[in-house]
Amino acid sequence: MRLRHLLTSLAVCTASILSAAPLKVAYSDWPGWTAFAIAEQKGWFKEAGVEVELLWFEYGPSMEAFTAGKVDAVMVTNGDGLVTGAGGAKNVAILITDYSNGNDMVVAKPGIKSLKDLKGKKIGLEVGFVPHLLLLNGLQKAGMKESDVELVPTPTSQTPQVLASGQVDAIAAWQPNSGQALTALPGSTAVYTSADQPGLIYDTVSVSPQSLSQRRADWVKFVKVWDKTVAYLNDPKTKDDGIKIMAARAGVDPKDYAAFIGGTKLLSLADSAKIFTSTSKGFDSLAGSSKLSDEFNVKNEVYKQPQDIKSYIDASLTLEAIK
Amino acid sequence: MSRPRWFNVRQDLSPRRRASLTVFAFLLPLALWSIVSYVPFIWHPMISVTEPGDIAWLKPGQLIDRADFAKEVETLRASGGNVPSGTRANPIFLPAPHEVGRALYTAFTTAPVLRGDKWLHESLWTSIRTIGWGFLISCALGIPLGILCGAFVSVSRSSEPFVDFVRYMPAPAFGALMVAIFGIHLEPKIGIIVIGTFFQQVLIVANTVRKVDGGLLEAAQTLGAKRRQLVLRVLVPASLPDLYNDTRILLGWAWTYLIVAEVVGVSSGITFFINQQAKYRNFDNVYAAIIIIGIIGVATDQLLARLGQHLFAWKNPRPSRLRNFFSRLFAGRTVPLFPEKTHTPVS
Repeated sequence: MRLRHLLTSLAVCTASILSAAPLKVAYSDWPGWTAFAIAEQKGWFKEAGVEVELLWFEYGPSMEAFTAGKVDAVMVTNGDGLVTGAGGAKNVAILITDYSNGNDMVVAKPGIKSLKDLKGKKIGLEVGFVPHLLLLNGLQKAGMKESDVELVPTPTSQTPQVLASGQVDAIAAWQPNSGQALTALPGSTAVYTSADQPGLIYDTVSVSPQSLSQRRADWVKFVKVWDKTVAYLNDPKTKDDGIKIMAARAGVDPKDYAAFIGGTKLLSLADSAKIFTSTSKGFDSLAGSSKLSDEFNVKNEVYKQPQDIKSYIDASLTLEAIK
Repeated sequence: MSRPRWFNVRQDLSPRRRASLTVFAFLLPLALWSIVSYVPFIWHPMISVTEPGDIAWLKPGQLIDRADFAKEVETLRASGGNVPSGTRANPIFLPAPHEVGRALYTAFTTAPVLRGDKWLHESLWTSIRTIGWGFLISCALGIPLGILCGAFVSVSRSSEPFVDFVRYMPAPAFGALMVAIFGIHLEPKIGIIVIGTFFQQVLIVANTVRKVDGGLLEAAQTLGAKRRQLVLRVLVPASLPDLYNDTRILLGWAWTYLIVAEVVGVSSGITFFINQQAKYRNFDNVYAAIIIIGIIGVATDQLLARLGQHLFAWKNPRPSRLRNFFSRLFAGRTVPLFPEKTHTPVS
């Protein structure tokens, strides 16, 4: 009898210690994610009654840490969430922070004014990643095929130099690389951007299924804080202070950083609830966008098996948070 | 008697000349850098736009290739538009010395904006700690194993082939594995540095021990030295000065691995600063950080070299109080540690 008492009290003890451990969230340099630094600096997580430890990574290593099970959640694009999951680290998107609204671009050298002009030309990009997806989407709209252009595999961070050196006719990349490509080669233009296809790339907070089932109430609190953050950045009075914090997290001048924020459409919880619950097959729903990403990933052999999209999405926390 | 010449085969220079040449070694690159940066007609392949004129896509402050700029100006002249103007400039990746100097200063004096963020010197300390631990662990394992390899062929044959094999594996490739084993903070970074240095260290130490003069071993054996004594009293002391130098060189090696180690796991240390500033093309900050690493490297190396001269004075015949102290320390009780000064009367 005594032993049982002891065991139960021990179990209760460990359970309370476990639940008191902070939620470990890995994030990296993207405007929709550095915004969480505002919530951290202002102490909003504590106010909401949840301990959160934000861990600052490079994007690639953040996914590595999640795959290794060292963090509870990671901030990734919906497409990369699928890639991470297919690699064995299942994850569930509980929050859509934003969609890329112009930060991802196809930048072409002077003289090339549209995607159609790129027929038979060389395009430098990281094959199998977001810029590739963006290009294919654009080509499709222009009535062209992937075989109409020549892809030159190029690391995203090197695209500005590669475009400026004249080895390719265009590149595809995300900020800050895409913006630097524009400055590195004066006269170059963005012939296609993610603003032309809103919802092509959604950015999410994706949680491990284990943490989600054990700490669901805490994650709802986490999601709630996001609305406050978006409001802070949308309010003209507080916007500058918000950008200052985000820029400091990225380690750059606030003026430089402000330029990237326009290319990111931050989503309030009400906005993201619509995208979460929509059953549309197009880019205006997370499921639709992820499905298209999935097809792209399988076709490009990023992974072999098509993923079960539904298992990657949990809209219920966002819906509960706005109630 | 003629003045000593500057160029004599393998002959030492006066201390004054040596010192001035050391200064010259640093001044020469600095002078070249200054010339390229401040003399406008040397290099300067770009134009920094001051007045965009009638070209819609030009912005003040933008850098553009000189030839392209000239072409634009020509076409505008022909059509009679407003001609843009600009001054010659270097590409963004070559900031002038004073810009780097300023970046160096502000990097240290700028307070962290965010709560919980670090000053630059604190980030540096994180990096130094990462290196320190990684190197210490590598030495603790690598030096004994290396000595054994150098002393016993059976140890050498049973471990060196594998060590040699792993040596060729790029340490950064172990990043994901290190994270999976050690988590995301300092430990996986230390792991990368250990992997990067340990395997080289074993081979280098073994080689150094093998170079000990065989005559010494024979002499010791005729005096009746046993196996244990041959290793501990002959091989180790005989190779100690060279081992010390090997270790010094390997420390530099460890620094090169820092840059790959610090992008593993949570971003931290000086590398995060370098990477992030490079991503946003703030090259003045990048060079400032690289210079800081250089200064730390040279400073530790010089310090260790000085210490080495004192410790291994028989390699360097200048007398040393520090060395005398240590030799007395290990000599046993019969020799006093601090001998009383004997005043010789001046006659």
